[in-house]
Formats: sequence, structure tokens, C-alpha cells
Amino acid sequence: MTTKLFGEPIARREDARLIVGKGRYLDDIGHGALGVAFVRSPHANARILDIDVSAAVEVAGVHAIYSYEDLDGPMAQPLPVLIPHPSLTAPRTGYPLANGSVSHVGEPIVMVVADDRYLAEDAAERIVVDYEFRTPVVGVEAAERADSAVHEDIPDNVAARLVQEFGDVDAALLQAPHTVSFTQTIERSASMPLEGKGVHARWDAVDESLRVYTSTQTSTSVRAAIATKLDLSLDRVEVIAPDVGGGFGVKIVHPWPEELLIPWAAIRLGREVKWAEDRREHFVSSAHERGQLQRITAGYDDEGRLLALDAHILHDHGAYTPYGIVVPIITSTQLLGPYRLANYRCQVDSVYTNTVIVTPYRGAGRPQGCFAMERTMDRVADDLGLDRAAVREINLIRADEFPWDNHLIFQDGRPLIYDSGDYPSMLDKLRDLVGWEGFEARRSAAAADGRWLGIGMALYVEGTGVGPYEGGHVQVLPSGKVLVSTGLTSQGQGHETAFAQIVAEELGVPIEDIEVHTGDTRRFAYAIGTFASRAAVMSGNAVALAARAVREKALRIAAEVLEVDAADLDIVDGVVGVRGDPGAVLQLSSVAVLSNPLRYAFDEASRAATQFARFASYDQPPVPDDDEPGLEGRDYYSPVRSTFASGAHAVIVEVDPGTCAVTIEKYAVVHDCGRLINPRIVEGQIHGGVAQGVGGALYEVMAYDEMGQLQNASFMDFLMPYVSEVPQRIDIGHQETPSPLNPLGIKGAGEAGVIPGSAAIAAALEDALGIRIASMPLGPSQIYDLIRAAQDGTAEMTLNSARRSQEEST
Amino acid sequence: MKLQGTATLHADRERVFAALTDPGALSRCIPGCESLDLIGEDSYKMTVSAGVGAIRGRYDGQVTLTELVRPDGYVMNARGAGAAGTVDATCRIDLTDDGEQTQLAYSADATVGGPVAGVGQRMISAVAKRMAGQFFAAVDDELTGAQAPLDSVGSASAESAAAPGDGGIQRGYASYLPARRRGELVPADARPLLLAGAGGALIALLGAAVGGWLARRGRE
Repeated sequence: MTTKLFGEPIARREDARLIVGKGRYLDDIGHGALGVAFVRSPHANARILDIDVSAAVEVAGVHAIYSYEDLDGPMAQPLPVLIPHPSLTAPRTGYPLANGSVSHVGEPIVMVVADDRYLAEDAAERIVVDYEFRTPVVGVEAAERADSAVHEDIPDNVAARLVQEFGDVDAALLQAPHTVSFTQTIERSASMPLEGKGVHARWDAVDESLRVYTSTQTSTSVRAAIATKLDLSLDRVEVIAPDVGGGFGVKIVHPWPEELLIPWAAIRLGREVKWAEDRREHFVSSAHERGQLQRITAGYDDEGRLLALDAHILHDHGAYTPYGIVVPIITSTQLLGPYRLANYRCQVDSVYTNTVIVTPYRGAGRPQGCFAMERTMDRVADDLGLDRAAVREINLIRADEFPWDNHLIFQDGRPLIYDSGDYPSMLDKLRDLVGWEGFEARRSAAAADGRWLGIGMALYVEGTGVGPYEGGHVQVLPSGKVLVSTGLTSQGQGHETAFAQIVAEELGVPIEDIEVHTGDTRRFAYAIGTFASRAAVMSGNAVALAARAVREKALRIAAEVLEVDAADLDIVDGVVGVRGDPGAVLQLSSVAVLSNPLRYAFDEASRAATQFARFASYDQPPVPDDDEPGLEGRDYYSPVRSTFASGAHAVIVEVDPGTCAVTIEKYAVVHDCGRLINPRIVEGQIHGGVAQGVGGALYEVMAYDEMGQLQNASFMDFLMPYVSEVPQRIDIGHQETPSPLNPLGIKGAGEAGVIPGSAAIAAALEDALGIRIASMPLGPSQIYDLIRAAQDGTAEMTLNSARRSQEEST
Repeated sequence: MKLQGTATLHADRERVFAALTDPGALSRCIPGCESLDLIGEDSYKMTVSAGVGAIRGRYDGQVTLTELVRPDGYVMNARGAGAAGTVDATCRIDLTDDGEQTQLAYSADATVGGPVAGVGQRMISAVAKRMAGQFFAAVDDELTGAQAPLDSVGSASAESAAAPGDGGIQRGYASYLPARRRGELVPADARPLLLAGAGGALIALLGAAVGGWLARRGRE
């Protein structure tokens, strides 16, 4: 009996080596390499007048000092716009080193290469740059006002106006029995992986080839970018993602200036060159996300049915648009959530500001979309005096209505069609899990005691497994080892475990025999990357298909050797045998040996494959037509469109009336990502996402002042939640609506945990305080201000709070 | 790449011009200059020993002076090549009266190739400017200090370095090094450095300086 591994919560295989220091992260590589430091702009908006390096050359151990003038050919051109889009009418990207002007604090201007990083920093400190200061544009409202411009030739600061619509929103709003209009904001946060970015490059002058290690989410795309920009043939460049300590989206952007400059310098200097950023660099020269201002108008009927929704969103895009408008596209499409809607318009204005660039961070625009829709639901319920879960329920798409076409184009360029799901069932499970029905009694009892409790919920739908494809290669070596390779990368998702589970079950081998490799262009060169909750769906299916091809070939070869029908054979624990007949067996390793007809034997095992060792038909060549030597399979999975996971979160919070501190008493998650490869890994993904959701809802902001200076560019002031802030217990309920779009029936799970965090917590705080919450995150100071304003009569109160006061007084 | 700058020399133009076009004076003021020999009409062959710290080498170059207009100025062309790269430079020197002093303006156009060009333009020009400043200071000392009058064409040994800080002619490469590097040993088999070829004042310095920087880093 084959050991069932798909669906088993086995412990992760990669953790043992990572937690005893046997990980190999970027900074563990290349101890003899030259070190690099950058002079980065201290101004948010300035022209560069002069760069004086005369003091820097006196630092012993400096090998080179580069500025824009040293760049030539494609390196002297702007960095690419990775994802063009017709609505992105005014794209703008930076240069690897600033070309005459800088548009955000942190933009690289000069690169110093020295014996080590310390010396490089010493030299960089002595470089004097002369700036002509210009007025920076900070915040979407300032960008919209356009008193000044981030880029001189884009006076209105608008990179793109994206409109997603169907039906007739204006007419529907006019006819709606009720309408509500409100404005709300979400602040910037950022991925903040534990390990920052890093690049190591070595030019082999003998082979004339380049090897680059980079802490990236897409080694194949970085390879293509480097080859293009450095004018090298693709076959002369290898890129490897080593162990990566977290990505969460920021490492999908490429090529970073450093990913081009470090290899470029390595070639020019004929030496290994390495750069690993420090935390402050990461704050000011990586990427942020989440910042939006949303103006929403919704029309609904007496039962709370949504008739029309019109959203106008100002999306803060930072100084440049290298990743196109993917985040706005995701916000404007995923805003619809699990609800039916006949009339919709979402216009997202992506505006430039003199701040760090905005590119996807786990969720990639979905949290903002969820915030818009879910807070609308809360407002509708509040206006009508209805239960917030009931209002949602009446709007849900039913389980028998799939596939559900939303009549929009998603971020993969394909129709936004929900393939499967059961939203009503999800909502029911959530109500049970969190204790929704009985909560009001708890809340009012606590209020009588002077304690402020509140409950909130938020639902979402998430498009996962976006294409265009991923590939898998499975090979059984003569030793019996099974090599599994896929081109996308790993940053802690447990790929070495999950993909091994799939292959172990498909092929019938012990999981201990399997070795998984990801993110290495030497091993698998066709890939897209790890992002958008796609790795399990894409590479999981691809390696499954490849493993099936290997199984089929193994059975065919074994059938010949054992002289039986292939249909009678099974592979169990790496042994091929006839079902029900313990005698006739063949080790899979032997099949691997025999799959490669040899002339020369160099060990005991390979002797069996040589020309005199086994009988072969004289009419057939050793390698028949259409066959290949070796026991390996390669296949690809390319989806017709994304597959849609879904989920629902509910949270009970308590606000301390004195300190305004927020405690999360209960956090409930119902999660549907189709079939699960490893429930333990999925649970870990949910926990991590919830932690980031809590961080974004209560603690994390990028505090830019009006001069574009980031005032909290360190963990002292940028507050990420500790274990003490993340809920001690997260109650998780599972639901599985398999995906009809891929052979394994799985959907992505990577981002789900973070999507509804701000919406659910905002709703819970609003419930606890009775005060309208229209901006997140909310810390104790903001809550205190809201309470004071409520006492002064200047805060907007919920209608519910008035109803409660009335009830209490009767 | 282009390089320009100025210097003030405390002597009249005639004496300045003479110093700058006198092989003996140049060989004393150029760091590590071992020989500067006339090989044709206003054309010289130069050998310079330069390096940083433990790594030194000898390199050769060729300098030609043209458009000599005493005492207004001249143009020098310098060429040199070596393992670390090549330099081909043209430099214009202009002298203007300033009372009892002379204002010197130099303007150079250099094409740098090979590995030496890989260190970045601003680094090359910064090093060259720094060494040019030091060279002109040395020429100025020669003009104002209590030393022998200008020699005719001949060689000068770079090894006879004056003791540091004696205020007289600073000879040899050692005096242009930061203090901590003086007195270090010179291995006989030091690898060859960039040819100074640019025998003219600042181009020789460019070569010596950059070659020295390269030598310090190149321990392959």
C-alpha cells in the first residue's frame, strides 16, 4: 500500500538544517568578495549638481567608485517597466545610479567597491554630493493637488487612471432606495522580510560566464534582466536564489539597481563582488505598499442588498512604477469579494509621490479592496440596523452559481471568473467558530462592567495560481535518489516538503529519497517566480505531471524486464512489483540504471546496463524511437486562468478605556484553498498572514514627513508585532472546494491570512467604541483622540452606538 | 575623460616654463621617476617606479611636447601601456603672469582603457587631481626652496629619497605616500604596473596614482 502523503501534516524537512545554522543565505556566500556601499539620496526631490569623491579615494582599500557617467549601453537606460498596461499612460522608472536627479530618499547615486563593506561605507561617507533642492510631493492628497510635480514632465502626478466597471453605476445609484458615501484611508506598510536584499556576483574569465546569487523571488527573470542589461548571451548567465529569509513580495521586484550593478562591477573589476543591505537601506530603498485613500459610494435596498458600488481610489505609487499597476488592478478587481453585484465602477488613480516605490506586499492590493467592500457592508448594516453577518449573507454568491463571471480582466490578463467556492457555508462556519450569535450579550454585559469589547468580520476572495506557467523536472538517479527541480523560488513556504510530498505519492517512493531544488537557473530554466500565492498550484501541479511521466516510463521498463503487463505493476516505497505477487520485484534504482543503456560500467550497479549483461532484441535499437535514455520526466502546468480561494476572518477585541490599548481576545479564520498538500504548512501560512494583518491594522505605518523624510526607518520606530501582540490562539476552520482548473485541485494559500486583517479589526474596534473608524492602522494614540472627539461631539458615531444608548436608557 | 585645474607657482613664468620643460626638474618632481631621457626633438622616454605599500613596479612611457611657446605654455602628449591598462592623453599647460607669481592652468583630455578604466571615472579624476596638486607643490618647492639650480637633461634616482620632513626637495615616491606607508620593503619581483607613459606632469601622476591603486588591490 502506497503511503499517503498528499494531505498529511508532516513536519517540514528543510527546518532541521535551517535552525542549526546550516542555511546558506546570501551573506553566507563569498567571504573573499569585495564589499559594496552606496551613497543614497538624503533628499526626496533634488537635482544632482556635482559629486566630489576626492576625500573618498584616500580611504585605503577602495577599488572603485561609480556614478551614472560610468554606465554604458543598456545599463545607462532606465530600469524596465516590468508589466506594461494600456492604462499606465505615464510610466516612470529610475536608473541603476541616479541620472542627474533623485526622486526619493534612499535612491542610489554612487556605488563604492572596497575590500569590505566597512571600508566601502567609510569611503561612501566621505563623498560629497551637491544638490539643488526641490519641493517634494508627499501623500496622495498633495499628489492629487499637484502644486508641484514629482517628475517634471508629469505635472499632474498621475501615472495611470485605471477604470474597472460593469453595469451602469450612475443610473443604479440614482435609483437605489439608500446610498452611503464615505472616505477612508489605509497607511503604508512594507514586506519587511527578516533578511534584506543581497547580491553576489562572480565573473569567470575562462568560461566568460557570470554567476549571480541574489535573494530574489524570481531567479529566471533576474537572469534575463541581467543578460539584457549587461549585453551578455543568456547562456552565459546563471542566477541562483540561495536560502532566502523571507520575501513577502518585495523580492519579486527586479532587477533592483544592485542586481545589475554588482554583476556589472564584478565583470569590470575581475573580482567577486558582494552587497547585502542593512535594515535602514531596506526601509528607504526597497518597496512599500498599502497606502490608499478611498472614496466610496454605495447604493442598497431595505434588506441591505448591494445594488451599486462606485469607488474612486487614490493609490500612492511612490516615485517610480517598475512593477506597473498590478496593485491597483488587484484592488479594483478583488474589491468585489464574494458578493454579487450588478453595477460597479472602480477608478484607481495611481499617483506619484517623492517616496519609496510601491510594489506588491503580501496581499498585493487585496487588503485594500477587502477594506473597501467590507467596511461598506458594515456601513450598510449600521444604517439599516441589521446584523452585519446577515447583510453579508444576503449578498453572497451561492454555491450553485459557479463559475461566476465578474466581467472584468484580472491581473493575469484573463477573465475574473470565480471557479469554485462555497461562501455561505464559510460564513456559517465563521459565525460558529467565533461565537457571533451570542456575542452581543457578552458585549453589553462587559460594557456594564466598564469593559469595551467589540466583534468584527471580513470576507474575501483571492485569485491565486496566476500563470503563465511553471515547470517541473523529476529524475530518478541510478542511486535511487529522486531529484525534483522547479524554476520558481522559495522564501520559507516549505517547498522542499510540499513538492516532495506530491512526488512521493505520485511516484511511490519514500519521501527521504527525494531532494527538491528551486530557484536555480542551472537546474530549471523556464519559470516565472514565486508570488501571488501560486507556487503550490503551479509547481505543485507541474511536478505532479512530471512525476506521473516518470512513473509511466518506470512501469514500462520494469514490465519489459519482469515480463509482465505494466498495468499489473505498482511502485511502493521505491520498489516496483506486481500487485499481489511479492516475488517479482525490481528496485526503482535498478530501473533507473536500465533506462540508460551503457557501453562502459564503472560500478556494480551500472554493469547491469552494459551491452553484454542483458539480452536485447537484435531488431530494436538500445534507445527506441521517441524514447530517451534516463528515468526522468519534465512537464509544465499552464492554467487557463486563476483559481479563486476564499476566506473569512472574525475578531473579538478589547479596548482598555484608560490606556486605549487593544487586545485581541479571539481571532477566528475560516479558510478555503481547495485541497491541501500539507495542512500544517497551510496553518503556518495562515498564522504568518494573520500576524502581518494584525501588524498592519494596529501598528505599522511609514511615517513620512512633508519633506519626504522617513522618520521611522528602523525597528525602534516602525512597530512590527511581537509574539505578545499576535493573538495567542488562532482558531482555524477549513473548507475545501477543490479547483476544477488543475489536476491536483489545489488553490493558493500564501497570502490569505493577511487580506481581511485591517477590515475585520476596524469593524471590531468600531463595534467596541461606537465611533466610526475610517482610517487604519489604529494605535492607542489615535483611539484616544477618537474618544476625546466623541466626548466633544466632533467624532462621527455609528448609528448602532446611538441605538445602544437608547436601549440602555430604556 | 577630461581633467582640469589650476595651480599657483611662486616664480615668474620664465622660470616656471623652464622647470616644467626641464627633464632634470621633472624627474625630481614626478613620484618615482627613475629616468627621463631625451629620444628626439622634445620627445622623452620615461621610466617610473611606483606603487603603494608592498607592491611596486617599473613602467615605461613616452612623452612628446609640442606647441611650445615660451613662456606662455605648451601641449604635451603622453602614452603608456601596461598590464593594468592604457593611457593616451593630451594636456595643455597655460601660464599667466600674476605679479611675481605664475598662475598655471592645465586642461587634459585622456583616454583610459583596459582594467584601469574599470574603477570609475570620478575615482580616476579624483586621484589624478590629488596627485597633480602634489606634483605642483613639488615643483613649487623646487622653484622656491634652497636647492640646486635646474639641471640639464639627465637622470635622477628615485631611490635617493630625502628624509621625510626636511623641507627640501621631496624626491622619490615615498614622500607622496601617506606617512604609514613609508619605508616598506620593495619586493624585487613586484608585478608590472600601469606604464606612466604620460611623462608629462599630471598624466604621469595619473598613471602612477591609478596604477598604485590598482596594485594595492590586485593580489590575484
